[in-house]
Amino acid sequence: MNTIEKILKNHSIDKPQEVSPGDIVTVNVDKAIIVDMAALHPEFINNPPIKPFDKDKIAIIFDHFVPAPNIEIANRVDKLRKLARLWNITDFYDIGRGGISHVLSSEKGWLKPGSIIANTDSHTISTGAFNVLGRGLGTPELMGIIATGKTWFMVGNTININFENKLPEKSSAKDIFFKMVEQIGDIPNDNIEFHGEGIKYLDMDQRSSISTMCAEMSAEFAIFPFDGILSNYLEAHSIHNVNPIYPDNDAIYSKTYDMDLNEIEPMVAFPDRIINNVKPVSEIGKIEINSAIVGSCANGRLSDLKDIAMVLKNKKVNRNVRFIVTPATMDIYNEALRLGYISDIVESGAIVTNPTCGACLGGHMGVSSENDVVISSTTRNFKGRMGSPASKIYLGSSRTVALSAVNGYISGE
Amino acid sequence: MDIFQVSDMKEIRGKVWKFGDDINTDLMYPQICYTLKEEEKPYYAMSANRPGWSKLVKKGDIIVAGKNFGTGSSRPAADNLKNLGIACVLAESINGLFLRNSVNSGLLSLGVPGISGRVNEEDIVKINMEDNTITINNDTIKFTPLPDFLMEIIENGGIINILKNKKLLGNPL
Repeated sequence: MNTIEKILKNHSIDKPQEVSPGDIVTVNVDKAIIVDMAALHPEFINNPPIKPFDKDKIAIIFDHFVPAPNIEIANRVDKLRKLARLWNITDFYDIGRGGISHVLSSEKGWLKPGSIIANTDSHTISTGAFNVLGRGLGTPELMGIIATGKTWFMVGNTININFENKLPEKSSAKDIFFKMVEQIGDIPNDNIEFHGEGIKYLDMDQRSSISTMCAEMSAEFAIFPFDGILSNYLEAHSIHNVNPIYPDNDAIYSKTYDMDLNEIEPMVAFPDRIINNVKPVSEIGKIEINSAIVGSCANGRLSDLKDIAMVLKNKKVNRNVRFIVTPATMDIYNEALRLGYISDIVESGAIVTNPTCGACLGGHMGVSSENDVVISSTTRNFKGRMGSPASKIYLGSSRTVALSAVNGYISGE
Repeated sequence: MDIFQVSDMKEIRGKVWKFGDDINTDLMYPQICYTLKEEEKPYYAMSANRPGWSKLVKKGDIIVAGKNFGTGSSRPAADNLKNLGIACVLAESINGLFLRNSVNSGLLSLGVPGISGRVNEEDIVKINMEDNTITINNDTIKFTPLPDFLMEIIENGGIINILKNKKLLGNPL
């Protein structure tokens, strides 16, 4: 069995000897995470589960609308506070205490290798960087998991992606993902396992950026192996006695792709979709922008803030551009303050918001107008995603966004 | 607004609306829907890519789409299609999260490779749930049915009804 099949097997309530593609397994979930968006689903507010299967396996995190942008949302999410009290939830992270659920999950040590995480947000596949299976699920399904602690998965085919060599200085993990999409396209219901000696050059932020973006290929799970880099991260976050999962020697992969990371250059996704819509920045000509965004579960991490601080130090954001930077969590924000990144960013004429999903979902903190041409390091560029359907959203790495913000046009170097 | 509810499904027959590849959740359920009244939400479905379409949909119509239908967010996108009257989605392939959400909302969605090349807009499609065939004019396509436990959720009108029946849900917050 491969890593993904083994984790599913280990969690199956039926205790099968093995599982293989096509099987349907009912599994126990190790952690169920509810984000503030659940409060905007009428069923959750009107018919909440009577009680959680295990209150210590439930987390409630405010991240999408922090702080609440209007009265309706303020009233709705306030009901989640009531629920957190009612259920006596310890892992409750309100404004100022947490951040984007996927990033916070790793900081809090909930992503123990070999475990299964359910979360109401669709980028939960990000957990794969930690050798963890995570799935984004609709709020009604999470309501069932809160009540029972269980859900189901269909075991899909798994493709193997081998990373070789080291990424050039000018390129980022986001560019690796765009290159993957260019090669592979969409893979609904299939999984990804990453292997290859190139992985040892990728830190946890880079792996997380890649695994998070795999949602955009419609992958079911996308998982990295356990290694020294992950082990060091877990130790540094006081997570001991982990039980990592490795593939068997005869593990089956439906297809193998080799990627030479050394050949990857800065890439950009053109507006409205990522699939069949990415190009190297070197080949796009001069595309002027007036809005630049850095943030989200994919690219609001400390290394993103470092990348843009290095670009912006002693420079000014182009006078035709608005640049909004959103750290993913309070811990990242504080660390970036301590390291001086925040002042480098703010002194350039960019603004730094509080941690939130913010502009990525077009709810607040950077809603795009009908005339906006946006370069963003967030997760999605669907038509209308960040505001007006007439705005154009290009996606790139955080470094590409910062370079573009300074130059006034999309720039990779 | 009528809520189209299928129970004890044996045959679904409806007029086709065609869509292309990678139709995402944000097109079906734009950001603005989050705070609208329930009855207003469905009319924003596909407003960015196909303005005016939602007003033309009739109860029982069917969507036939290309690859990767429903890619994107966990938002209740399937609810918007169902509440608009869509009886079924047939697509070349379907995003896993959308499929789950669709089933959990009581909307039948089926991955049917080859379907989009064999169906035109406004065709009448007949889906036979007993012999797992789709008939369009004189053409017949075999499809792989959803597992029984998922069909049971759809036939119950969605997972919320099942959770209510099991007395797992409580009073409004």
